[in-house]
Amino acid sequence: MTESKLSIVDLTKRYAAGLEPAVDRLNMEVEEGHLVALLGPSGCGKTTTLRMVAGLMDPTAGSIVVDGKEITHTPVNKRGMGMVFQSYALFPHMNVEQNVAFGLEMRQVPKAQQKARVAAALDMVQLGHLGKRQTKELSGGQQQRIALARALVVEPTLLLLDEPLSNLDAKLRETMRTEIRSIQQRTRATTLFVTHDQDEALDMADRIAVMNGGLIEQFGSPTEVYERPRTHFVANFIGQANFLDARVGAETGRANLAGESYYRVEVEGLGQFGAVGSAGLAGTTHELVIRPHRLGVSLAPGPGPAPLAGTIERVSYTGDALAVAVRVGEKLLQAQMPTISGDLPRVGDAAYLSWAPEDAYLLPAPGAVAERLAA
Amino acid sequence: MTLLEAPAAPERPRAKNEGQLERATERRNRRTYLALLLPGLLGLLVSFVFPLAYMVRMSFNQGSPDGVIVETFTLDTYIQPLTDPYYWKVTLDTFQMGVTVGVLCVLVSYPVALFLARSTSKYRGLLIAIAIAPLLTSAVVRTYGWMVILGTNGLVNSSLTGLGLIDTPLKLTNNMAGVTIGLVEIFMPYAILAMISGFGRLSPQLEEAAGSLGASKFKVFTRVTLPLCLPGLLTAFLLVFVLSISTFITPRLLGGGSVQVLATEIYDQTTGLLNWPFAAALSVILLVLFGLIIAVYQRLTRKIGG
Amino acid sequence: MRATIKRKMAAVAALSAAMLAMSGCGGSSDAAKAGSATSGEVNLIAYSGVWQDQYNAAVIEPFKAKYPDIKINYASKRSSAEMLSALQGQKNSPTTDVAIMDNSVSTTGNKQGLFEKVTPDAIPNLANVPEKFRDKDGYGPVAMLDAVGLVYDTATFPKAPDSWNVLWDPAYAGKINVNAPPSLLGLSLTAITSKMQGEDYTKGIDGAVARLKELAPSVQTFAPNPDEYQNVITGQTVLGLGQNARGQFYSDQSNKKMGVTFPKEGTVYQINTVNLVKDAPHSAAATTFINYALSAEAQTAFAKALFYAPSVTNAHLPADVKARVVPTDGSLNIVPLDVDFLSSARDKWTDTWKRQIITK
Repeated sequence: MTESKLSIVDLTKRYAAGLEPAVDRLNMEVEEGHLVALLGPSGCGKTTTLRMVAGLMDPTAGSIVVDGKEITHTPVNKRGMGMVFQSYALFPHMNVEQNVAFGLEMRQVPKAQQKARVAAALDMVQLGHLGKRQTKELSGGQQQRIALARALVVEPTLLLLDEPLSNLDAKLRETMRTEIRSIQQRTRATTLFVTHDQDEALDMADRIAVMNGGLIEQFGSPTEVYERPRTHFVANFIGQANFLDARVGAETGRANLAGESYYRVEVEGLGQFGAVGSAGLAGTTHELVIRPHRLGVSLAPGPGPAPLAGTIERVSYTGDALAVAVRVGEKLLQAQMPTISGDLPRVGDAAYLSWAPEDAYLLPAPGAVAERLAA
Repeated sequence: MTLLEAPAAPERPRAKNEGQLERATERRNRRTYLALLLPGLLGLLVSFVFPLAYMVRMSFNQGSPDGVIVETFTLDTYIQPLTDPYYWKVTLDTFQMGVTVGVLCVLVSYPVALFLARSTSKYRGLLIAIAIAPLLTSAVVRTYGWMVILGTNGLVNSSLTGLGLIDTPLKLTNNMAGVTIGLVEIFMPYAILAMISGFGRLSPQLEEAAGSLGASKFKVFTRVTLPLCLPGLLTAFLLVFVLSISTFITPRLLGGGSVQVLATEIYDQTTGLLNWPFAAALSVILLVLFGLIIAVYQRLTRKIGG
Repeated sequence: MRATIKRKMAAVAALSAAMLAMSGCGGSSDAAKAGSATSGEVNLIAYSGVWQDQYNAAVIEPFKAKYPDIKINYASKRSSAEMLSALQGQKNSPTTDVAIMDNSVSTTGNKQGLFEKVTPDAIPNLANVPEKFRDKDGYGPVAMLDAVGLVYDTATFPKAPDSWNVLWDPAYAGKINVNAPPSLLGLSLTAITSKMQGEDYTKGIDGAVARLKELAPSVQTFAPNPDEYQNVITGQTVLGLGQNARGQFYSDQSNKKMGVTFPKEGTVYQINTVNLVKDAPHSAAATTFINYALSAEAQTAFAKALFYAPSVTNAHLPADVKARVVPTDGSLNIVPLDVDFLSSARDKWTDTWKRQIITK
C-alpha cells in the first residue's frame, strides 16, 4: 500500500460531554494529489472534520497524520496548509497582492521571490491584472480566485476548501468548478473539499467521502458511490433512486470482473426480476436500487422481458428530460425518459416499465430492510 | 439633492402633463421631507444654532473688570488670548490632556471592547450593559468617588502606606494625574461603545485565515485584528478627546485649581470674573480646536477605510 | 434649490426670533401681581448650601410666621458673581426683588444701576445700622459680616495657630488648601501677605507674589472640593483658608475636628449687603423683608445659627456666640480691602496667581 498523504485515525469531536459526537471515530486515507470531497447534509460533521485537519479546532480524540508526521496538536500556523473559506475571508485592509503575499510574508520569503510567486499565483487564477485592486472592488468569483491563489501560493501540504462555491450563482459555480479542478490537477495539490452539493463532488473529486451523523458512510470514487452505493443513505443522497425491498433468490451467473453476481429477486407486489449484487447474497433480503434514468419507460407494451404495467401519476418536464412517476400496484416508481418532439405523455396514461438486470443493484448493507420484510 | 433638482431634459418629447405630474410628485416629496425634518431642525436651531450664534456675537463684545458688557465689535477678546503665551500654554495643555486621556482610555478600553465584540456568550448583552453601566451615575458623582479613592487618606494611599510600599502619600489628586485617572475611567464606557460599533469588519474567519497562512497569534493580532480595529479605535479616541477637552467638572474637582485648561478658564471668566465676551472668545477657540481634530480624523479614516 | 432652503431657514429664524422676543417681553411688571407691603411674594437671590439652610431656618421661617401672606422664593447661587450675572441677565425686566451678596459685587451692581437706593422711611430698621455699615450713596446696607480665617485640624494643632506664617511651615507641606483668586479668600490672602511683607498692596504686590510662590509647592489644592472645611475635616489637608462663620459652624458639625481662628497679622472682612433690585416686581413686600432682615431678632438668630456678625447696634448676642463671630468693634486687626480697589485688582491678581503662583 502506498504511503498516504493524509491519514485520519479514529478522529472524534464532541462539543460537550453528553452530546452526540459531531465526528465519531472517523477514519480516512487520502492519496497524494487527490481531491477528496467531504459530502453530506448540513450537520454531518464534514466542516468539523475539515477544521480539525486545518488545526482550527482541537479533536476530542484520534489523530491526524500528514506525510507520516503526526500533527494532531500542531498549531494552525505551523501546519503549512492552505485554506479557502466559504466567505473567502480576504483581508479587507489589504489589496489583492498583499492578500496573496501574506502567507509568503509569514514564511519570511525574500521580497523579490514573494513578488514573483504572487504574480505567478495571480496569473494562475487569471487575475494578474488586478494585483493593486482593493478586494472589496472585486466580484464574488474574483474574490474566490484570489482566495484560492492566496492558499496555493504557499505550496501547501494540503489544500482545504470549505464550501468554496456556495456563495456563487449557479452559472459561475460551474465555471469555477472546472477551474478549481484544473488548477488542482496542475498543481497536484492534495485537496480536501467540503460540500453539500453532490454534483460538485461527482464532478470534481477523485474520491468522495459521504458523511452522515459524524460517520463516513462510504469512501470511494465518484462512480463507486454512484453506481455501487453501500447504504441506503448514500444511494439516496447522491442522485435519485427507486428503492424496492427484495427477497434475493438464486444466483444466476457471474456479472463482472469485480466478482458480482446476477440474481433472481422477488419484489412483493411486482413479481420476479433480474438484479446484480455482490456475491453470496442468495437467500437474504436486501434493498434494490434502480436509478430513474435506468428505468425504461414505454407508452405501449413492447417486446422486452415482462414489463411492468402501470399508470402515469405525475409528469415533469425539464427540457432535457421528462420525469414521470408511475404507479405500479402499491409502488410509485420514478423514471426518466428523453423528451420527444411529439405529444407528451399525460397523467393517467398507461406506461410500461422495464430494466436490465445490471441496472438493478442490491445494496450490500442489509440495514432495516430485513426488519421491514420480517414485519 | 437630485430629488430637489429640476428633472433632466427628457430624451424624447413627452406629453406636457407627464412632466407636470412628475414635478408635482417631487414637490410633494420635498414637502414631506421638510415636514419630517422640521421638528428636529427647529429644536437644533433653538437649542444649538441660536446659542452658538449668540456666543459668537458675544465674543466680539468688550468685557470689563466689574462685569459690564459693552456691546461693540472688537477683536480684542481674540487678540488678547492669541498674543498671550499663557493662553497658548493653556490651549496646549488642554490639547495634551485630550490626547493623553484619549490614548490611555483607548488602551484600557480596547481589551474590554475586543472581548465584548468577539464574545459569543449568551450573556454578551448583559456584559455590554455592565460595561456601560457606569453611565448611569453622573460624572460628578464618579469624580467625587475618585477624590475619595485618590485622596491623601484615600484607598490607594492608605493601601500603599499600609503595605509599607510608600512612606508619604502620593499626590494623586489636585493635579493633572488625578484629572487624567478620573477622565479615563469616566469616558471608558463611551470608548467601549464607540469601539464595539467600530469593529464591524472584524471577523473570526479573517483571524483563522491569517493563522492558516502561517501567522502566529501575535502576528494575527498585529497584522489582522489590530488593523481591522483601527477605525473603531480612532473613533473612540476622537470621542474621548472631544469629551475630555470640553469637560469642566472633572478638571475642576480633581484638578484642585492647579489644572488650567480651556474649560476651567472659561468657567472662571464666566462665573468668577464675569467677563463673558472673553469667555465666549475662548469657547470659539475651543470650537476651532474641535474642528481641526475632526478634520484630521476624517483624513485618517479615509486613509484607513480606503 | 439652495436659495429655497436659505429662504426657508431665514423664515424659520425670523419666526423663532420673534417668539423669543415676545417671551422676553412677557415678563413686564403687572401691577396686579405686585402685591402690597404685607402680601404677595418676594423673589430672593442669595447663597446656596449651608448658608441657605441656616438663613431659611433663622430668618425666612420666622418672617413667614410674621407675614403669612408673603411668600419667599429663594433662588440660590454658589457665588455672588453668579448672582450678579443672573441680575445682569434680567436687567431689562427684573424678576428678582432682593439680593444678599458680597459687598464687592453689590458695589459693582450699584454702579451698573442694578439696585435701588433705600431710605429709613421705607425701612425703619435702617436707623439701627451704624453709619459705617451703610452705603455712602444710600444703596443696600450691610446685612451681616464675617472675615477670612485660618482653618486648622485640631488633632495637628491642639492650640490654634496664631500666625499666618504657619502656612509656610515645611512641616505641613502638601497639607494646605488655599482658594486661589478670583475667590475672595485668595484675594484676601494676597492682601494679608502683602501687608506682612511690608508692602502697600494698592501700589504693587511683588513681595507678596514672591512669598506666595514659596507657599505654592506646599499647597495641596487651590480649589478645595467639596469645600475648604471638608478638606480639613477628612484629613486631606490640615491647614487652609476659610471663612470664620462657616468654619465655626462646621467646627460644631465635625465635633471640633476642625477649628478656625483669626491670626494676629490681621484679616479681611467678608461683608454681605442686602439689596433691593431696581424696578423690583414686588418692591413693597421686598422692603418689608429687608426691614425684617435688619431687625435685631433676625440678626441675632442668624448669628446664632451661622456665626455671622450682626450689622445693627440693637442686636445683643449671648457671650458664647459673641466670642465666635467676627468682632466689629475695632478689636480685630483688619486688613482693609476697599471694594473699588478690589474690583480693579481682581482680574490682575487672578491672572498673577494663574501665571506665577499656582504650580502644576
